[in-house]
Amino acid sequence: MTKQGVGSRVLRKEDDRLLRGRGQFIADLRMAGLQDVAFVRSPLAHARIRGISVPPEYQGAVFTAADLTDIKPIRAVSGLPGFKVSEQPSLACGKVRHVGEMVAMCVAATRAEAEDIAASVQLDLEELPAVHDMLAGRKSDTALLHEAWGDNIFLETNVEVNIAAALDAPIKVTREISTARQCQVPMEGRGVVAHWDNRLDQLVVHSSTQMPHIVRSGLSECLGIEHGRIRVISPDVGGGFGHKGILLPEEVVLCWLTMRLGHPVRWLEDRREHLTASANCREHHYRITGYASRDGKLLGIDCEATVDSGAYSSYPFSACLEAAQVASILPGPYDFPSYRCRTWSVATNKCPILPYRGVARTGVCFALELVLDAIAREAGIEPHELRLKNLVRPEQMPFDNITKKHFDSGDYPQALSRAIAAIDLPALRERQRRGEADGRLVGLGMAIYCEQAAHGTSVYAGWGIPMVPGFEQATARVTPDGGLELRVGVHSHGQGHETTLAQVANEILGIDISRIKVLHGDTAFTPYSTGTWGSRCTVMAGGAVSRACEEIARRAIAIGAFMLKADAGTLSVRDGCVCGPAGSVTLQEIAYVWYRRPQDLPADVNPGGLEITAGYKPQRDSGTFSYGAHAAVVAVDAETGAVEILDYVIVEDGGKLVNPMVVDGQLYGGLAQGVGTALYEEMPFDGSGQPLASTFADYLLPGPTEVPEPRMFHMETLSPYTQFGVKGIGEGAAIAPPAAITNAINDALRPLGAAELLHSPVTPRRVLQAIAVARMGKAA
Amino acid sequence: MAVKVSMTVNGKSVSHEVEERTLLVSYIRETLRMTGTHVGCDTAQCGACTIHMNGRAVKSCNILAMQAEGASITTIEGVANADGTLHPMQAAFKEHHGLQCGFCTPGMVMSAIDLVKNFPDTTEQQIREQLDGNLCRCTGYHNIVKAIKAAAADPASAKAGV
Repeated sequence: MTKQGVGSRVLRKEDDRLLRGRGQFIADLRMAGLQDVAFVRSPLAHARIRGISVPPEYQGAVFTAADLTDIKPIRAVSGLPGFKVSEQPSLACGKVRHVGEMVAMCVAATRAEAEDIAASVQLDLEELPAVHDMLAGRKSDTALLHEAWGDNIFLETNVEVNIAAALDAPIKVTREISTARQCQVPMEGRGVVAHWDNRLDQLVVHSSTQMPHIVRSGLSECLGIEHGRIRVISPDVGGGFGHKGILLPEEVVLCWLTMRLGHPVRWLEDRREHLTASANCREHHYRITGYASRDGKLLGIDCEATVDSGAYSSYPFSACLEAAQVASILPGPYDFPSYRCRTWSVATNKCPILPYRGVARTGVCFALELVLDAIAREAGIEPHELRLKNLVRPEQMPFDNITKKHFDSGDYPQALSRAIAAIDLPALRERQRRGEADGRLVGLGMAIYCEQAAHGTSVYAGWGIPMVPGFEQATARVTPDGGLELRVGVHSHGQGHETTLAQVANEILGIDISRIKVLHGDTAFTPYSTGTWGSRCTVMAGGAVSRACEEIARRAIAIGAFMLKADAGTLSVRDGCVCGPAGSVTLQEIAYVWYRRPQDLPADVNPGGLEITAGYKPQRDSGTFSYGAHAAVVAVDAETGAVEILDYVIVEDGGKLVNPMVVDGQLYGGLAQGVGTALYEEMPFDGSGQPLASTFADYLLPGPTEVPEPRMFHMETLSPYTQFGVKGIGEGAAIAPPAAITNAINDALRPLGAAELLHSPVTPRRVLQAIAVARMGKAA
Repeated sequence: MAVKVSMTVNGKSVSHEVEERTLLVSYIRETLRMTGTHVGCDTAQCGACTIHMNGRAVKSCNILAMQAEGASITTIEGVANADGTLHPMQAAFKEHHGLQCGFCTPGMVMSAIDLVKNFPDTTEQQIREQLDGNLCRCTGYHNIVKAIKAAAADPASAKAGV
């Protein structure tokens, strides 16, 4: 049999249906009596609602907050001290706090008709001053989103370790660095189809979500219906990247609506809604100072970080999801003795924030790595030399860093050295000296990060949000014909779990993966799980599948020992058989006896049989730390501001890779999103809080000609704490590209004096501005 | 006002009364109940809704069903080989891990089949440029490009008939 277990590059089981157009995405569901919903959304960022008028012919087809008297607002509380709670009404109540906030819900036979009704609803709004700038929003003389708070600060945090010791350092570099607001942009928008199942007396909610069990808990809280009367099904999901890790107000109101009307209702997020009315992410501002010795030894980092959290706290990750993490992850993979970081999560009149691949890591990596390059320039050393002096060394592993992150394993300096070797630094520097025939400027940039993944109870209990991951569970069932069913509460929306979790089971039981069925995405038949986020599934669900299969193996051996008349201690499971010195019996034969001929079983057989739910946590639940070093070579046209990526190298270490083909796919995809963050993607707002990108003509995604093919190199340092030594790696490749590419651009612009790009995305306009500023400085 | 539209879809004649404003993609998805053709942007930028109309790849979210009157339409459901095996382009996407979530995939495959028909000796650069109307958020495109290159070189492609 071809090897299919852990480490095998096997093709994916889910591909066939998707390639034939037989995927079942949320918009593909059909139900008798289904009606479509369109929302009247606020055209203003901040306004008091004076009235909502519905034409008489549409009474009964339009619902507002006044109708939803029995629904509780969404409350995503954080247990961090000082966190201020926002109450997000499912339909706006009294005020609207961002453009796109839902004010009324319209229902009709088709979406087009529902949109016609929505267009006929008149809103009488009294416009209020909008908070569109988080730094202004931090001040006391600004408009208030949630009046009872007295300010606009969801949460302020402060971490300080021995910062006084760094203040007199010979090198002191301060920069103001910021990142644009982004949208996650899965190719499939969100969507909800809700109906009431009379037979089961149960609300059935199909939703394009990464976390069906968490959505169920949220719905239960908002609707006041017990969990047992709610079933959430997540069908094929067309990408998530964090955007679908949320309890949607749309989910809440569609559930209410189907109970009110008695027929199925559906809402599908269109692209305009996604870009202008859904959650955003990653709008950060840093005022950051790096302290170093003359020879480039990092002595301290001092930072003030502000995150634009939008109008409400999203369930379950909360409004401080990014800023609170910034303080703990800003030190990155480096070892230095002094640190201070103050953070603010600021409420503004924009969509709430949600996680996006890498969450705050993309921003902190950008801020820190840009400052490190600035320090290297000040110290007069190569940027990689500076980093090699300061990275945590392999002999220090496992290592507790300055914010008490526990790095489990790895060789960060080797990853960086390999990346620099692959780039061929001397040749690149020589090329820069020679200059380009076309007059463009060439530069090299790098960035290195480590990514905490699959972090569990101890981390999230401290955070105190509505969701704390505990043991991850999986159910394994040998079928009567010797196949295997796996049921997991995590969800797959591109990650390939139908294949990779089957590979994990194959590693232990040897059952051919064509005979292993992975079932996920339905609260009715999967164990509770917080779902798919935080690069956790391979570690957590893979570990749970392992534990379940190990127990299946033990039970099969007990039955097999009886059938073989052998001592169980001499038997093992291999290639789908229980094997011993004197013979073997297949799992199929064992399953046949258990299910079909119980009269042949031993008297003391385990009554649990060939089905088991097992739970798993790594030996430490503080998270695995995969890491990567990225190096980019770019050419910048100083006349047009255009940037071309000439070469891109990734050296990554994700521990044991269950399916290297799938991991490579994650790296390719992460890089593409990182390139988008670095050069293209931006959700701008005007001074009245209006979002200015509403189609893919304004919100630019990288296409096939914009993403370079990286040269990828793998390292394999096993995690000491997880099954097989795996580490989470799903988000990593999206973290470093903005920093690596921007550092490369800044390196390219060095001949032009002080031109330095400090804001992502680095658009041609920003490049030209930076050059103009540098030239003006020179002229002065 | 309702109008009657008639066309051939995947070799079968179909005819329905639809609202004048019905988009071709809505007709295919909602009326014909063929949901392999996806809607990703509504504005003809992402390419998830790509189908073949009279032998050319077009974005079905950007034309009315009425404009397809009398046309011959092929959707993703119509490209597999007659014996049920995957079309060489579909097979190449699987072989080269050219899909992750699978949402953009039908549109990608439809564009790619058209691309190879128009540029049989295609290069990587040409594939990237020709694929500019199709967005994918998962794969970073490389494996899609590899798949298309492999399918273009596969003699079975020429015989596949789509």
